[in-house]
Amino acid sequence: MKSSKSFIGLIVVSTIFFIYASGVYKNLQSDSALEVVDFSIDGAKTDPASIKSNPDRSPYYGDLHVHTKYSFDAYVFGTTNSPHDAYRYATGEGITHPLGYEMKLKEPLDFYAVTDHGFYLGMVENYADTSSKQSKQPWSKPFHNINRPENLIVESVGQRSDIFSSVLRQTILQPYPYWHPKTIKAWFTKNIQLALKSFDYEVHKSAWSDVARAAEEFNNPGKFTTFIGYEFTSSTLVEGGNLHRNVIFNSAKAPIRPWTRIDSLNPEHLWTWMDGLRDRGVDSLAMPHNSNGSNGQMFEGETFKGGPIDIEYASKRMRNEPVVEITQVKGTSDTHPMLSPDDEWADFGIMDYRVGSRPPTYSKTQGSYVRDAYLTGLTLEWKRQGNPYKFGLIGSSDTHTGAGSFDESNYWSKVSLLDGTAQGRGTVPLSDERIKLMKEYTKEYNQPLSLLETEDGTYASVGFEQWGASGLAVAWAEKNTRDSIFKAFKRKETFATTGTRIAVRFFAGYDMQSINLNSESMVRDAYVKGVTMGSDLGEQENKIPEFIVWAQRDKNGAPLQRVQIIKGWIEKASGTPHEKVYDVACSDGLDVDPITNRCPDNGARVNINDCSISSNVGATELKSIWADPDFDSNTKAFYYVRVLENPTCRWSTWDAVKAGVKPRPNIHKTIQERAWTSPIWYIPKDDPLDIVPL
Amino acid sequence: MRNKILIFFIIGLIIYVIDIGFNSDNNLNEIYISDSELTNLLLTWKSQVGREPTAIEATNIINNLVEEEILYREALKLGLDNEDRIIKRRLAQKITFLKQETLLKQPSDEVLRSFYNLNKNKYFVQPLYSFTHLYFSKGPDSKKRADKALKELIQNKTPNNSDPFLLGKEFYKNSTDEIIRNFGKSFENVFNKLILDQWSGPYESSYGHHLIFLNSRKDGFNPDWIEIKNQVLNDYFLQSKEEAIKKYLEEIKSEYKVVIDPNFKY
Repeated sequence: MKSSKSFIGLIVVSTIFFIYASGVYKNLQSDSALEVVDFSIDGAKTDPASIKSNPDRSPYYGDLHVHTKYSFDAYVFGTTNSPHDAYRYATGEGITHPLGYEMKLKEPLDFYAVTDHGFYLGMVENYADTSSKQSKQPWSKPFHNINRPENLIVESVGQRSDIFSSVLRQTILQPYPYWHPKTIKAWFTKNIQLALKSFDYEVHKSAWSDVARAAEEFNNPGKFTTFIGYEFTSSTLVEGGNLHRNVIFNSAKAPIRPWTRIDSLNPEHLWTWMDGLRDRGVDSLAMPHNSNGSNGQMFEGETFKGGPIDIEYASKRMRNEPVVEITQVKGTSDTHPMLSPDDEWADFGIMDYRVGSRPPTYSKTQGSYVRDAYLTGLTLEWKRQGNPYKFGLIGSSDTHTGAGSFDESNYWSKVSLLDGTAQGRGTVPLSDERIKLMKEYTKEYNQPLSLLETEDGTYASVGFEQWGASGLAVAWAEKNTRDSIFKAFKRKETFATTGTRIAVRFFAGYDMQSINLNSESMVRDAYVKGVTMGSDLGEQENKIPEFIVWAQRDKNGAPLQRVQIIKGWIEKASGTPHEKVYDVACSDGLDVDPITNRCPDNGARVNINDCSISSNVGATELKSIWADPDFDSNTKAFYYVRVLENPTCRWSTWDAVKAGVKPRPNIHKTIQERAWTSPIWYIPKDDPLDIVPL
Repeated sequence: MRNKILIFFIIGLIIYVIDIGFNSDNNLNEIYISDSELTNLLLTWKSQVGREPTAIEATNIINNLVEEEILYREALKLGLDNEDRIIKRRLAQKITFLKQETLLKQPSDEVLRSFYNLNKNKYFVQPLYSFTHLYFSKGPDSKKRADKALKELIQNKTPNNSDPFLLGKEFYKNSTDEIIRNFGKSFENVFNKLILDQWSGPYESSYGHHLIFLNSRKDGFNPDWIEIKNQVLNDYFLQSKEEAIKKYLEEIKSEYKVVIDPNFKY
């Protein structure tokens, strides 16, 4: 008996070994994530051929980072707005915040993409719905009816935080045993999530198709562009370094399901999947974000697995990730005062803890900021490893309410019930009741108690005070169509703003002085004679590159104060990185000091008692032709533009003014709204041009 | 054997009747909203919006609260977490009802056309303007410079004192929304007064002053409904869905008596 058992066992093992060794198993598996579905809908939309194209290109403003009720965390924090609601918001309609007030844009946007977390997409809503199959399972209990109207109250915040930080994890990690038919199906279709008890593939797919359907319904060529998209929410295993990316597709055709962290945590595998889709005619791009909270992991000097970066890695990354989100509600990732001690504007939108960490845990600066990444890229290239960090710049909101919050004077932050009130986000002293409430729930749910006692009162201090009313993605495109805007991202002809509608042109070339800055043909001439943001500028013998910058203010915002060019380079002999900030145009007829490279103070001030600003100071537009005074033709360098508005009240000060209290101490009271362009890279001749295919 | 089943059946029936008797609560259909609740509600609104709500806004806020409360009670009444079969059936019925409403059969053309006619304004295609403009960047003398240029244009001279505009000089088939997007609110009512093939101005935007030459105007119109049938259909479904919920709410609303302190002051 015993020997026959072991004999059968031997046969089974050897058969499995044979199948494995002969490679047959590969043919047995199908890849569910590469199945393409056409989500297009019929509609009498504008004929794309009739849309007028502007050869000089126009700036289109949008948001590519929006969560709705289908995101696990958004639903836990009270969001019930759907992708349809999100698109209605982007086109100018008002929609409702979970706390009951209206969220409405001052000015509609030109493009928008709903990007819910692909991981467990739609599942939490399903647990909460007591008529669903999953809701009958014991693990669904804590989620039942959490977003029924009577439960959308501030008092539920403790319970929600508990769900977010501990219950969710336990819910998700429940695999079926290895012999279970679902586990076997998961293996045959390369769809690991099928083997998880708390996952319902039908629900998941239907939520995903609702996301896609909403995008298709609202896409209106010539007027308003949408993208089918989602967020790949990955992180490093050990330190919780955030590796989040948004993925958008350039067509109504998209995969049957999103590729998520359940498939793999490694971003390289995401790119492999995107390459695979591209072979099947579906183009896409991924946009890293919140590098500031990545603990140095987003722009590392090595690969995810700790191996060396090589040219293949660099070109694969650049092919799939041409643009990066430099600013959003959870802070700005331009640079950090510790990385750029000589940049007086570096202390802006700094969020210095790791994304989603509880209690908030410090995120190391190196590898976490865009400017540092550009320098790392040059260094890697100098070592002949290729440049994986040659990306353009966009901003987006990362709202979790369906509605991006871009306006300092009308701010609702992003996580619904948690930070939807001034007390919750820590800008107005807490009432005694709320202090009691916070103490109770932190004790009950074993959460860190984060209160700040000051002379003016006790504030909630959970990190929301570091966040900002930011940001927007702007594309220079011929027309407002999906294809035209998508191509702008691939060219990196983009800029980012902190929510303001600044517009900025940026060109570099060798004969730019011959262009008349005040002629109507200036832009066309600059396109012909030079290159624009996102491009390479090659060396020309004995010539110094010249840069044209032209910035225009937001018609509804504050006037402009100055335009700067930020240069980064590495020493050819040693690879030592350097950076420098040059003011290149000043408002109010002021001139740049040639020694300090700074504009004098233009005198713009803010009254923080009522948030009024100085009138008649600042510029409507700023223009300049600039040549680098420290140019060295042998040195690889990058140049990008930063445009600064006159100072205005920060959202936190607006909160205080509206509540009639003093602004909270120890946080910035004013900000300078700003825009950053994608860089132009200068490439010397003897260094062979590194052409990275897009 | 048969008797036993019958006995169980009768016991079950008795329990059921008793259960109904216990659960019929007469005072449930009264909604009492306390002063502090109202104050809280209005204060939250104020802290978010930064001003006192107007009378209409305040009414809306309170009405929303009442409606929410009604829905909540209704849900409680239905015992969503209860295992009772009758309630399950009613819930199922309700969901089928709502689902049926949302997955309506394709309406006839007749229905769609009348829906279109009712909502004609929504489908009105805005007038489109194609124009050239001369721009005078904001400054103490921008209006003067624009006035001078206009004089020259009237004398058929070509002025050379204008500035390039970042978004360009020629604009093709812009709707009023696009004009507002490009030039700001102050241009909202400029174009409907312009005369074709004629320079006029200066018009002030937050960027400075502008002289405008209108090349063509395409008047607004109501499109043939067949051309936009899909859009009408989508809107029809959307509205049907909203109406179904509204109707449901209306029906149960009449069953409630709402009590609010008539002397409440805020």
